Amino acid sequence: MIVLKIKYHTLILTGILVTLLFLSPLVIPVYWVILLSEILIMGLMAVSFNLLLGYAGLLSFGQGAFFGLGAYTAALMLQAGYENLFLIFLAGILVAMLAALIVGFFSVRLDEIFFAMITLAFGMMFFSIAHNWRDVTGGSDGLPVFNLPNLQLFGLDLTFYSPISMYYLIFTTVLIALFLLWLVVHSPFGLILKATRENKQRVSFVGGNVRKLRIVAFTISGAFTGLAGVLFCLFNNMATPEFMHWSFSTKPIIMAIIGGTGSFFGPLFGAGIFFVLEQIIIRYTENWMFFLGIILVPVVLFFPQGVFGTLQNRFFKQRSK
Amino acid sequence: MKKRALSIMIALAFVLVSFVGVHAASTVKIGFTYIMSGPFSAYGQFARQGAEMAIEEINAAGGINGQQVEGFFEDSTGKADVALRAIRKHVYQNKVDILIGLDSSGVAKTVVPSIEQMKTPLIITHAATPDVTGSVCNKYTFRISLNLAQNVKAASLLANETGAKKWTTVGPDYSFGHQSWEYFEKYLKQLNPQATFLPKDQVVFSPFKTTDFSSYITKVMNSKPDGVFISLWGGNLIDFVRQASSMGFFKQKYEVLFSLGAATEVLTALGDKMPEGLWVGTRYWFLANNSALNKKFVAAYFKKYGAYPSYNAHGAYSAVYAYKAAAEKAGSTDKMAIVNALEGLTIEIPTGVITFRKGDHQAVTDAHWGKTAADPNYPLRILKPIKIFKGKNVTPAISETGCSLGAAM
Amino acid sequence: MDFLLLNILNGLSWGMLLFLIAVGLTTVFGVLGVLNFAHGSLFMLGAYLCMQVMQYFDSFWLGLLLGPLCAVIIGVLVEKYLLKRVYNRDVSFQLLLTFAILLILDDGVRMIWGSGYHVVDPPELLAGIMTIAGQDYPVYRLFLIVIGPVIGGILWSFFHFTKWGKIIRAASFDNIMAEGVGINVPLIYTLVFALGTWLAALGGALAAPQQSLVPSMGEKIIIESFIVVVIGGMGSFPGAFVGALLLGLLGSFGTMFAGQLQMAIPYLLLAAVLLIKPNGLFKKGV
Repeated sequence: MIVLKIKYHTLILTGILVTLLFLSPLVIPVYWVILLSEILIMGLMAVSFNLLLGYAGLLSFGQGAFFGLGAYTAALMLQAGYENLFLIFLAGILVAMLAALIVGFFSVRLDEIFFAMITLAFGMMFFSIAHNWRDVTGGSDGLPVFNLPNLQLFGLDLTFYSPISMYYLIFTTVLIALFLLWLVVHSPFGLILKATRENKQRVSFVGGNVRKLRIVAFTISGAFTGLAGVLFCLFNNMATPEFMHWSFSTKPIIMAIIGGTGSFFGPLFGAGIFFVLEQIIIRYTENWMFFLGIILVPVVLFFPQGVFGTLQNRFFKQRSK
Repeated sequence: MKKRALSIMIALAFVLVSFVGVHAASTVKIGFTYIMSGPFSAYGQFARQGAEMAIEEINAAGGINGQQVEGFFEDSTGKADVALRAIRKHVYQNKVDILIGLDSSGVAKTVVPSIEQMKTPLIITHAATPDVTGSVCNKYTFRISLNLAQNVKAASLLANETGAKKWTTVGPDYSFGHQSWEYFEKYLKQLNPQATFLPKDQVVFSPFKTTDFSSYITKVMNSKPDGVFISLWGGNLIDFVRQASSMGFFKQKYEVLFSLGAATEVLTALGDKMPEGLWVGTRYWFLANNSALNKKFVAAYFKKYGAYPSYNAHGAYSAVYAYKAAAEKAGSTDKMAIVNALEGLTIEIPTGVITFRKGDHQAVTDAHWGKTAADPNYPLRILKPIKIFKGKNVTPAISETGCSLGAAM
Repeated sequence: MDFLLLNILNGLSWGMLLFLIAVGLTTVFGVLGVLNFAHGSLFMLGAYLCMQVMQYFDSFWLGLLLGPLCAVIIGVLVEKYLLKRVYNRDVSFQLLLTFAILLILDDGVRMIWGSGYHVVDPPELLAGIMTIAGQDYPVYRLFLIVIGPVIGGILWSFFHFTKWGKIIRAASFDNIMAEGVGINVPLIYTLVFALGTWLAALGGALAAPQQSLVPSMGEKIIIESFIVVVIGGMGSFPGAFVGALLLGLLGSFGTMFAGQLQMAIPYLLLAAVLLIKPNGLFKKGV
């Protein structure tokens, strides 16, 4: 019964959140709509990342590579004059997915810190390619994007030059992507994946192929990270090697842990908290990094389930009384 | 629970709304975007100092068209996506009338296309990539500082005078270093068809985070060139100069040109460890121009901050005055009117008289080079003699820049 | 040939610096089980503190002595009040905590000493220049090449011939057993982290006369020492030595022959070792 009740409440909460996100551009200032766009994109990246950390117990330090691959694919296609947004999304996802399949194939046999290191190594290889292959990737400058294609949908011709219309493109895409990820997590696959985190041996005893499960999880995570990268490219009109650097890959880690790796939406909230905190702090000081560190310490020490996860747990306990 | 969630949402919305800055409409707003944090924040600090000094001076003298000037500073962190966010904050939140700034070339190149969408003029004061007034130029983007092509053209004129034939380079391994070398090769070849250049695998491009240059130094010395063109800057340059000195690099028979060697922050840090008699270039040298304006600027800056103005301070300072001149010429701060007024604007700034070319929006400005020399009156190496290359002699023709602004008009 | 010799020297001088950093990192990992992201920041802190001491006393040797010791105080506080709490936590929390410490240290140093470039002179004794293979070569670099194995040798003897060294080795193999036989494990952990901090800060102080001081100076060396530690074998003392030499020499010869690939070499090496010998080239243990 409890499970059902929670699902019911989660549904309502999600509904409220979606409605608020949908309506927010009507009330909040344009700059915050832009930030919200960024929060959604990074939130998608963090949720995709958390499919690995939160569900499979794998700490990937190379997510930036897939994000960057999505962004570069989009930028290159836009430069080449492709107009079909669906095609661009699809290509970005496929390229990231393929790369994730290859990286995953080699990486998932390792655990813990070794997994973190090998994903870091692969990620930095992609960074080196993006940084050095000047003829194709624009080298360290990256690729600027000049024209955003329109979207023909239901007989409408939509453009994305205004921050508001861009927001709705991102909002819709992220919503669909999160829904798909949610389905993945709650499918039998997601449940077995979670079991591999708890006990790898037991899963293999009952006939689960841990390696295969992990490769699939890594590939799905990479694909959605690539989608976030495509969105980021459209949103910022650029793809740069920075996206692939290991320091960019720490962002989803920080967001996921701030928000909480134990719940599906935790990382999304983590992204929100991260950006809002940043905006508040940089109003008063230029030492944002210092204060980010100061904030992270207690989060790591005292919120093992993350801020959102801890709040959710308190609510969970109250309900089950 | 619904209630609680709702109240959290409302609280959150309240926090968001409280961030809407409401400003009095009577000021002219300038949005500055520089590297204010992280390892390169020194550059942002210099720019901020220059900008704040200009704003104070202008406000004390009655403002722009009678309106007081207000400066907003945002941090680019040297990353393109963060810089764009900062610029969007300026445009949509701070509602600035003009954008000034940008340190990193890579950032400038990827951000510039978005400037067009925001329909707000931008004056670049540091980033040197030729592309922002070349292949990716647009109507809203201007640059007041010396760009890579101008600086390297001056370097090649100098290199030609030295008579050295076989050239190599040491540069940072990112676009700036590669482009510097490509332009150097192109320009020197035009001046002296006999000049030769080592192939790509024999020249040196050191990764940006290099701290130990010894193997690069060995590589260059081993290639036995007649001349070395060096485009390292900042901390890389300091490390290189110190390590090269101790490895006898500067005792060799070849010519050495540093395209950004006369940066005050580098010369200050190196002090007497900067060898004498090396050719160094820069975007602005505080002793190069004897004009009254420059003397006043250097004296005022020294009085206020206790240091000699670096090129970044000069760039930000000058850009504010360029905006003032454009606003007075246009008689308004309307963004489009400013763009039109900036096009072709001629103005005297501390480094000399400059003109924003109509065809690509690059300022035609003098390039300054000189030989490092010790002077007991200064704590850092100064330039003696100073060589001034006239703007019109070092600025490439618009047809060469790849910018199509002129053609469209 | 001359050219080869110079390149070996170049590679060795960087490699030895890397060894000092990596050996601290690997020892801390071997005993505490934490891969310390902030290790590079302790390196940076050592350089700044050395510079600060030099400003008071005008002696590089005093800076080299006192600077790292000051850093050790900070290291002990970090271990006692922060790291201690995450030993039993997931690796992601450990990494994130040390990453937070990195952010605090890097930005904190910038707030104290500013973001400008600082320069430290080598001591007069070592400031000279020798002629090697017909080319000038700084004595200080040769000093770096020598000091690495010297400190390494002292450490090795400490671990193998002293009681405390043996206790630390015991704790690194099995801390529960160590606790069982009456060893004060928490104290050992603090001491080991202090030792790791001291090595990192010493490396920073030694690097100071060679490279300009900036708050981000630990960034390059931390990633390289991660790679050294992993390819050498996490927690392995000889592994750190061999790994550091390998990376140092690959770095100096890479500039000659690898061209565009150079940036990717350390990562290719890292991935290759992890795939072929996931536990590194050497077994854990000192």
